[in-house]
Amino acid sequence: MADLKRQVKEMIIQRLKLEGMTPEEIDDQAPLFGEGLGLDSIDALELVLGVEQAFGVKIEDEAAGLKAFRSVDALTDFIAESQAGSR
Amino acid sequence: MKAIRAQIPHRHPFLLVDRVVEREPGVRVLAEKLVSVNEPWFQGHFPERPIVPGVLMLEMLAQAAAFLEPEPITDRPIFLAQVVDARFKAPAFPGDRLELEVRPEASFGGLSRIQGTVICDGRTICTARLLLAKGAPEAKQEPRP
Repeated sequence: MADLKRQVKEMIIQRLKLEGMTPEEIDDQAPLFGEGLGLDSIDALELVLGVEQAFGVKIEDEAAGLKAFRSVDALTDFIAESQAGSR
Repeated sequence: MKAIRAQIPHRHPFLLVDRVVEREPGVRVLAEKLVSVNEPWFQGHFPERPIVPGVLMLEMLAQAAAFLEPEPITDRPIFLAQVVDARFKAPAFPGDRLELEVRPEASFGGLSRIQGTVICDGRTICTARLLLAKGAPEAKQEPRP
């Protein structure tokens, strides 16, 4: 799980070109949007694609996105659950 | 031409799609823009050597992308939200017939990303990915207090 969380953070940094940021600097529990990382709706589409391409997990709609993008922890759980569910 | 004006709200001199050749909503659109020397930007861009401004090729692709929508967008505008990896490989001139090909790549939360290509004489002259945001249906503007 710690590995997956690190991969999630690396994906976020890479997809959103958060240059100069390290995985350690992203708070596990801070909201990704608004406060916290301060991402916007354009970043959301990029993250949806990132999650799909890097982890093979589809975020179907806005409701699922709202839940998954609450924090790095929430996104890591969402990916782990979806991967377990599809096996 | 009538069908084009029924689908998008753009009008002269900023209607940059002349013909929709192939249209499969949600999958692919192939449209055409016939570049004419009397378009207003050529007066200054440039007086001795008219060249289609690169940004207008992006606008052509965005207008063509409006035909990916199954429903008219005349009262529900679409806004340009992001331009990614725009490349201009060759200029376009008056007299050129530009083919505008657009395909959707992904969409989420009212935003859709499309891949667009402008082709002239069988040659790709511009490629770009555009992010388009769907506006809410236009309501009557409340007067500001």
